[in-house]
Amino acid sequence: MTSTETAPDLSPIAPPPSKNRSRRRSLLVLLVLVLAVFALLSQGLLHSLNYFETVNEVFAHRSSVGTEVIRLEGVVEPGSITRTSNGASFTLTGSKGRRVYVDAHGSPPQLFQANIPVVVVGHFVSATSLNFDGTQIMVKHSASYIAAHPSRVKAPNGSSR
Amino acid sequence: MMKQLSQRLLGPVTLVLLALTFWLGMWVTPPDKVQGDLVRLVYVHPAIAWVALYVSFGTATIASALYLWKRTRSMVMDRVAHCAMEVSVVFIILTLITGSIWGRPTWGVWWAWDARLTSTAILGVLAVGYLALRRANDDPTLRARRSAVFAILSAINVPIIHFSVLWWKTLHQGATVFTANRTLLIHGIMAWTLLISFVAFTLLFFWLLRARYRLEESRDRARSAALATSLDMRRREGAI
Repeated sequence: MTSTETAPDLSPIAPPPSKNRSRRRSLLVLLVLVLAVFALLSQGLLHSLNYFETVNEVFAHRSSVGTEVIRLEGVVEPGSITRTSNGASFTLTGSKGRRVYVDAHGSPPQLFQANIPVVVVGHFVSATSLNFDGTQIMVKHSASYIAAHPSRVKAPNGSSR
Repeated sequence: MMKQLSQRLLGPVTLVLLALTFWLGMWVTPPDKVQGDLVRLVYVHPAIAWVALYVSFGTATIASALYLWKRTRSMVMDRVAHCAMEVSVVFIILTLITGSIWGRPTWGVWWAWDARLTSTAILGVLAVGYLALRRANDDPTLRARRSAVFAILSAINVPIIHFSVLWWKTLHQGATVFTANRTLLIHGIMAWTLLISFVAFTLLFFWLLRARYRLEESRDRARSAALATSLDMRRREGAI
């Protein structure tokens, strides 16, 4: 056994280029993040921050809407719902009594009923028509929660609604 | 003594409150006038979202700010921020999952690209990005500084999520508890159950955070011990 084999190698080792490598990796992570956030935003918010237009808003600029595909929000008028073979037809009302006649395809959501706000994806059948051809109905329920049998429960202040 | 007692009680109290939420939510509270039995998800989803957005992301942000502030700078703050962000990722994912489960029967869709849902998904990406950024940096000080800055910048998204239902038109409903005029829009026992669910999930966060922090501490100790052993072996080699 020679002396060089037994003596441990204690010569200094060059430190790894940790800072530069970290910077490169960090920039790569940030780049991926920017792309991911941009991809999420591009799905909807870059086009419009508002998810839908109300019946009143659409009436305010009806000519510019034409027959383009929009998401239309309004309240389902009581007594107007008719179940059809491929969906439902009903009247959508705005706050100023404006009306749009919707013929929607596809099964409506479980909560679809009279007097409930809905968002309908679709388009007007012609540039001046008030008939709306819907491809999807979404229910926009409120954030208030009231017991189905109010007499059974009382609010914290003792009143019952 | 009190600290030890509260630490010992944290787990059992959390479990009792979660069980109480489950019992009240499933059997005691009435069905809703519009949503029927679907309303029972209100005892799960808002509380999880509360923890995801405000409690856990908030803890990570505050700990990051305290790390950046010279007077309070310590690796403890960095560790708290890291652990809180990991728990936050879990709660953000649960928020999106429970929201989708609730959305399908009520809205009629699993997902909608409205401002509330999209900004919450972005928060999830940012939280995962925070963890990736930590992995990208080997130097502990550099890692702590960069991730702290990133956490604070990401937190800008939290008020955007909160006010998104007020600023823009969304499919997601407005606030139930934190309404603009402080009116609680929920009825009697339903309101109390909602309140208990918020306390239960908040305690669950602190329980998970404590467990994760302890794990991180043990890992750090193990790393230090391994380094000390290596140095010792190196010294012994030199002595031969």
